[in-house]
Amino acid sequence: MRQLWAALRREYIERVRTKGFILSTIAIPVLMVGFIALSAFMGMRAERFDRQWVLVDRTGRIGAEVAEAIGAAGYAADLLDGEATLEDLDARILDDDLEAYIVLDEATLRDGAFSYRSDDSPGSTRTAVLEGIVVREVLRQRIAGLESPGEVRALLDRGGHLDFERITDDPSGADEISEAEEISGIVTGLAGVFILYISMLIYGAFVLRSVLDEKRNRVVEVVISAVTPGRLMLGKILGVGSMGLTQLGIWAASAALLGLLGVPMLAAALAQEGALGEFAHLLPGAGTLLLLLAYFLLGFFLYAALFAAVGAMCSSEEEAQQAQFPVMMLLIVPFVMQMYSLQGGGFDWMEWAALFPFFTPILMFPRAAAGSVEWWMVAISLVLMALAVVATAWVAGRIYRVGIIMQGKRPTLREVVRWIRQA
Amino acid sequence: MSELAVRLTGVSKSFGTHAAVSDLDLEIPRGSITGLLGPNGSGKTTTIRMMMAILLPDQGQIELLGGFPDFDRRSRVGYLPEERGVYEKMKVLDQLAFLGEIRGIDRRVAKSRAMRWLERLGLADWADKKVQTLSKGMQQKVQFVGTVLHEPELLILDEPFSGLDPINQEVLEAIVLEERRRGATILFSTHLMEQAERICERVCLIASSRKVLDGDLREIKRRERSGVVAVEFEGDDRWLSSLDVAEIEEVGQAHHLTLGPRTDSARLLATAAAAGVGVRRFEVLEPTLREIFVSHAGAPADERPVLLASGGAQ
Repeated sequence: MRQLWAALRREYIERVRTKGFILSTIAIPVLMVGFIALSAFMGMRAERFDRQWVLVDRTGRIGAEVAEAIGAAGYAADLLDGEATLEDLDARILDDDLEAYIVLDEATLRDGAFSYRSDDSPGSTRTAVLEGIVVREVLRQRIAGLESPGEVRALLDRGGHLDFERITDDPSGADEISEAEEISGIVTGLAGVFILYISMLIYGAFVLRSVLDEKRNRVVEVVISAVTPGRLMLGKILGVGSMGLTQLGIWAASAALLGLLGVPMLAAALAQEGALGEFAHLLPGAGTLLLLLAYFLLGFFLYAALFAAVGAMCSSEEEAQQAQFPVMMLLIVPFVMQMYSLQGGGFDWMEWAALFPFFTPILMFPRAAAGSVEWWMVAISLVLMALAVVATAWVAGRIYRVGIIMQGKRPTLREVVRWIRQA
Repeated sequence: MSELAVRLTGVSKSFGTHAAVSDLDLEIPRGSITGLLGPNGSGKTTTIRMMMAILLPDQGQIELLGGFPDFDRRSRVGYLPEERGVYEKMKVLDQLAFLGEIRGIDRRVAKSRAMRWLERLGLADWADKKVQTLSKGMQQKVQFVGTVLHEPELLILDEPFSGLDPINQEVLEAIVLEERRRGATILFSTHLMEQAERICERVCLIASSRKVLDGDLREIKRRERSGVVAVEFEGDDRWLSSLDVAEIEEVGQAHHLTLGPRTDSARLLATAAAAGVGVRRFEVLEPTLREIFVSHAGAPADERPVLLASGGAQ
């Protein structure tokens, strides 16, 4: 146990201390912030105040005041003249003649709710501005009516509520919530595939490099005089894995921090439209994140064991470059398949290919995130992966045990099979 | 507790068709300092790797510290492999602490012990430097510290002195002797006969995978005594005529006398005294380890050209 801990700790500390780790850990969030700041800036430049809105006032009491306040906030809204119907307004929106119209009715006077109808989301800034205006005007109206202070306070507490209704020319009136969720699923799935692919590839390569270095400079001979090869391999994999989790954790934490603090601040600082308001809808749920973590852990163990075995079989960098190719293919093939299916290609059997444990993280995660597979498929894939991890670790451990003390030419496949049998 | 630190019985190991070690018997008593000698490729490293259970013998038995070389016994050994194994990117002190830790020493204890060793070897200033910034000789010393840090019962050192300058060789020799005074058993391999002669009590000579001879160095030398006496004396050599001297060779001031079966060194000295010969030097010449080796195994293959060029063993 002590030896395992020592091996794990050494691997972890030595990796976390490297400049490469520190640089990559800092650089990625900085790039992320930069990217979001840039898109916010572009969004601000794109925010347009000159578009035409119409205000439909069914209360007959606050329309003029709200329209004036909207004008004061930099937007423009005309009160609806008598003849036009809502259908006319919808048509004008679809014709791009009108950007949006706002409907104030009895509910608005009661609890500040009003609807904003457009073919495009109002974005968080505009929503906040409109809600503020409407509530202020409703309060003015009601205080003037000498209504009870309790009701007024309740209204103040609740604030207004903008009810966004999307206008589309799709007669079925596609359910917009599920559409947002679908987009979120696809974005999360895609991001997850990249994270899984890159982290398994890079952290796996770290394991290979670490095994190879130890073998090449013969430190391993000294170390295995005190630590069993199995523990050394496990310590190494856990050490690299902890480093990977540390890095992913730092990234996730900075992303969360950005989401909690950065985005609203940015949104407030730069009158920002659309993209940022929808950003929150795109954030994956906790269940999806847990699934990502599970696939990362299982996938990492699976590939790390393979990479460790490959490292143990080789005696030089050049050999390792060649020998790791089959393992990398196991990662590249599902990645290419996944990219292909995102572009609209793909095959019916890909859902089943996703059950192959070495393909599971990359093929199954995006499907699970987008909700396009049954939950039991996901469950089966997790069980199969866990079994594969045990089997792979067993085989890789045997190759590792023999391989790390072998020098000279790379073993043939037949020799490797003999190692597995005899070790 | 077994009196033997290492015991090999009928050990053989081949790689493919090449026999690396053939039917080797070897006993190393506790507390001794033993040299495993032989030219390159004679099987020294294979023998050592089998003792450390890095390789398993094809035949025969290996006992280390009284039993099978399991992890417990191996962690009581300080093993220095032939090729210098260090984590190049680790800091010196961290590396030593790690090596101590895996042998069951508390990390802090390992660090403070390592620091004392580094001070002693003049490497204290390098404790926080990465190993790869050190010279090769320094790395070798760091690795040596890693070998002795856990105060092992047995030190198995594969070519510990190769690649070191004479001054550092002396420093390391002194430490090896000190470790022995602490009570450790020491086994080291070398192809430098003169060095083994200087510090070993026991030797085991192997050549092309087979043991040539082994045992207590002084006994071997007595047994292998060639019967040559070097004498420097005044006057002529007529006093020798009454003695059974097979051969007389003049080497500088001295006469090297090869005695026949009917004469021994005591008789030679008595005759000289009786004849009133002024003797300035009288020495029974012992063969060097190299001469013994050559007489048993022939000149080591990799040293033959040197032997021819210099006209014989020195």
